[in-house]
Amino acid sequence: MKSRQERLIALAMVAPSLVLLAIFVYGFIGQTIYVSMSDWGRGAALALDPDISFIGLDNFKDLFTGFLDVRFRQDMVNMVALSILFVGGCLVVGLVLATLLDQGVRGEGFFRTVFLFPMSLSFIVTGTIWRWMLQPRGGINVLPTLVGLPRIEFAWLTSREQIGRWNWQDVPTLLGLLLAVVFFVLAARWWLAGARRRAAAGGVLAAAALVWAFTAATKIEVLPFPEYHGFNLALIGIVLAGVWQMSGYTMALFLAGLRGIPDEVREAARVDGASWWQLYRHVELPLLKPIIWSAVIILGHIALKAFDLIFVMAGPDNAATSVPAISMYLTAFRGNQFAKGAAIAVVLLTLVSVLIVPYLVSTLRSREEN
Amino acid sequence: MSARKVRWTRVWIYVVLVLAAVLYLLPLYMTVATSLKAPADIRLDTAWEFPRALHWDSYRTAWQQFSPQLRNSFVLAITATVLSTVMGSMNGYVFSKWRFRGSEIIFPLVLFGMFIPYQSILIPLFQFLRSTGLYGGLPGLILVHVVYGLPITTLIFRNFYAQIPDDLLESATLDGAGFFGIYGRIVLPLSVPGFVVTVIWQFTQIWNEFLWAVTLTRPAAQPITVALANLAGGQAVQWNLPMAGSILAAIPTVLIYIFLGRYFIRGLLAGSLKG
Amino acid sequence: MARVVLENVSKHFGDVIAVNNANLVIEDQEFVVLVGPSGCGKSTLLRMVAGLEEPTSGNIYIGDRLVNDVPPKDRDIAMVFQNYALYPHMNVYDNMAFGLKLRRFAKDEIDRRVREAAAILGIENLLHRKPRQLSGGQRQRVAVGRAIVREPAAFLMDEPLSNLDAKLRVQMRAELSQLHDRLKTTTIYVTHDQVEAMTMGDRIVVLKDGVIQQVGAPLEIYENPENVFVGGFIGSPAMNFMNGVLKRDGDDYIVDLQAFRLKVPEEKVQKHPKIKEYVDKPVVFGIRPEDIADAQLLPEEERRQVVTAQVAVTEPMGSEVYVHFEAGEHRFIGRLDAATAARAGQSHPVVFDLAKMHLFDAATEKAIR
Repeated sequence: MKSRQERLIALAMVAPSLVLLAIFVYGFIGQTIYVSMSDWGRGAALALDPDISFIGLDNFKDLFTGFLDVRFRQDMVNMVALSILFVGGCLVVGLVLATLLDQGVRGEGFFRTVFLFPMSLSFIVTGTIWRWMLQPRGGINVLPTLVGLPRIEFAWLTSREQIGRWNWQDVPTLLGLLLAVVFFVLAARWWLAGARRRAAAGGVLAAAALVWAFTAATKIEVLPFPEYHGFNLALIGIVLAGVWQMSGYTMALFLAGLRGIPDEVREAARVDGASWWQLYRHVELPLLKPIIWSAVIILGHIALKAFDLIFVMAGPDNAATSVPAISMYLTAFRGNQFAKGAAIAVVLLTLVSVLIVPYLVSTLRSREEN
Repeated sequence: MSARKVRWTRVWIYVVLVLAAVLYLLPLYMTVATSLKAPADIRLDTAWEFPRALHWDSYRTAWQQFSPQLRNSFVLAITATVLSTVMGSMNGYVFSKWRFRGSEIIFPLVLFGMFIPYQSILIPLFQFLRSTGLYGGLPGLILVHVVYGLPITTLIFRNFYAQIPDDLLESATLDGAGFFGIYGRIVLPLSVPGFVVTVIWQFTQIWNEFLWAVTLTRPAAQPITVALANLAGGQAVQWNLPMAGSILAAIPTVLIYIFLGRYFIRGLLAGSLKG
Repeated sequence: MARVVLENVSKHFGDVIAVNNANLVIEDQEFVVLVGPSGCGKSTLLRMVAGLEEPTSGNIYIGDRLVNDVPPKDRDIAMVFQNYALYPHMNVYDNMAFGLKLRRFAKDEIDRRVREAAAILGIENLLHRKPRQLSGGQRQRVAVGRAIVREPAAFLMDEPLSNLDAKLRVQMRAELSQLHDRLKTTTIYVTHDQVEAMTMGDRIVVLKDGVIQQVGAPLEIYENPENVFVGGFIGSPAMNFMNGVLKRDGDDYIVDLQAFRLKVPEEKVQKHPKIKEYVDKPVVFGIRPEDIADAQLLPEEERRQVVTAQVAVTEPMGSEVYVHFEAGEHRFIGRLDAATAARAGQSHPVVFDLAKMHLFDAATEKAIR
């Protein structure tokens, strides 16, 4: 039996790690939240004991509605666009590669090594290489000329083009619409599952959100004048490099998942009459779903935190490719506006937590059950 | 399904795979080709041509220019890897075999530490290092890497030790082994693969890290990633040098990957809580 | 409904010959059990019938149709797998309906068949559960149900009961037999368990090292094993074998086992005159444990050719006792009446029921007939 004394020894052995993590993770997060609600950064910011006073949520209000913080808002838009494209790209490429490799091909080890080796590189190395690949008058752009095609005329990282522009003043309306869509989808699913009363409730909420979006939401004054944001084409280059580096990871995940499906199940499906495509569509893909979700979460949180790659590919000062992770660095460590930097960091932490906390809880719980 | 149709499907599979492999290797080719050219030969329109004469000077220059940073990176990565791995092994042992009251709640709290955006602790960390005099040097950076490496090393070891049957430990207890006896005589000898996975993962992560390196070090203590970013980030770059530098910076982790890829992938899967 | 025919079927995996020139006819509505130790090729044989493995040579017919190049889905067979192979993401209903949906059956026809199969198997109340919410026995039933709804020409079952606990296995054994009586679908059943083979099969096919050793009705195989392997594999505890030499003494034929000698009954010699050719040749003498009796418990007139052997171990089973004997170089087990006075460490007299003895050629291990 484990004696009381030995249990105390065990506890003593993890205590240093736990204390360090308590301070360095939770203590520091607490401090960052406090700083984000202060005015640190006006005046002698770098003094060892700077003069700081509490100003509540003003920094956050500034970030989302302040006239001066237009760059942060475009950064948020960039971050969302980058995340969607990066995650989507990695999923599609990884799934295709894993599916092909799962067909029992010769030289599978070689292909796997090739697709996965960029994972072992640092984002800095990847960024440096792709910065060279994406030079407007060289690299990828001249690749078509090798087979006699015309050169690609796209400035990649230095492009200033923006598409899909919309007004930041419409944010409340857009949020309302998003909410309406979510409720509507939920209602439809409940309806199909036969939960009529829930479906009705979902429908009512969707309608309410819709009405709100076009009435009260339009009255909320976010900014005194219109401010347009859109998708910066310069991000495509970042996505390309990111997918090159990380799609091997999704490939490895999916391949492990496909290999985890027992041969018997596939054989059962073949005896049941499934063609290759039906087997893939009705058996393999549904069984991969949990892995696809965890890939979305892991890649999504990597995309939200993207810093190194953008920093070295486009430089931290390139507004067209900037994201909150970068502007936090610039604001706090170049501009010495620690409070505002902290506020950006808190926004970032909140977004990552929304993604990670449910994932962490559900993954650990399902593991305990097994 | 006729045999002919099957054969054509297989041909297409190989065509797509080979094409994808070529695309994945293109940047590597470009890097090697550029690094072996003389600066005067590097022109955008001939970027894809392999150099006619191999020009190794870029490597000599890069080596001279980067050797202090490479040394910093090695000191940093090796020290921080060893410390965080040893601590992670002990933590994993306790969290898997010596669960205490509340350990089910504390464990996810520990894991959360590896997912946070480090910007959210950067300002207090910066202040803390300044106030303790650790700011700007390697010891401070090592401390940071050890602490924030603890969640993943703890996780890998906990999952690894969870596979050791409890019977084994109970039998050792009956033989008179205590907390350290079990660890030293049973758990540790069985953990070699766990150590390999963790060491490889930590070394790669720390070697490749950039955010702390750029915010928490003074030039004398900068690791290779910062030096490379500074070189490549400047205007009017001579591309042969950053390319040679990239290869120097990539060699340690790529070698690890090529020779110990199996363990590298296990670390990768563990990082997404799937290992 | 169909008969299944294997013609000179072989399967090689590289240098390994998994199935060697198998010939077998399985009649319509028959329940045939393929039995043998692991690695004997029985699963490979079944998988070739299913179309999951391609025979290296030979022909396979299902319902008189040559199916060598027909993919599994078009062979009109259904299979029950050892680990059930239920689709983890589908509930019980969808698991059973999947094969029918792929074949584009009408919705109400699917529903009718699934509910009917569920009723037969007593799993109507589980239709909306996922496989992981089911016990082993329930999963087993779903796997069978998935095969039933297809109403195929033949059922193929690959060790379907080996993952169940002993008690459930006995129950499911009976249920599967009942099911076959009811549906009359041709069934090929693979198992390593000779008890399943004996109790379930209309006929048994015994395999070893990829070669069919014997095909026959259970009792026929039990009473007349073709060779030492079949004799030893079917029956528990296994048949006792002792090496000896056949001698002739006047008109009598004697098995000389060194420690003792036994006279071969005249009826045996008449029935199998080949025995006469083995005089002075090495033979293997086989006797089943239940054909060994405690001499002390027999009436006086049956105490003939008494053999006294040393008792090594006794294993009381309640109704009877398994007694391990040693005599000279021979060791053998007898299933004696519980009243026996045999005690470990003592010697004890026994009588062999020689009408039921077996003689095998020592070189070929084949029964001498």
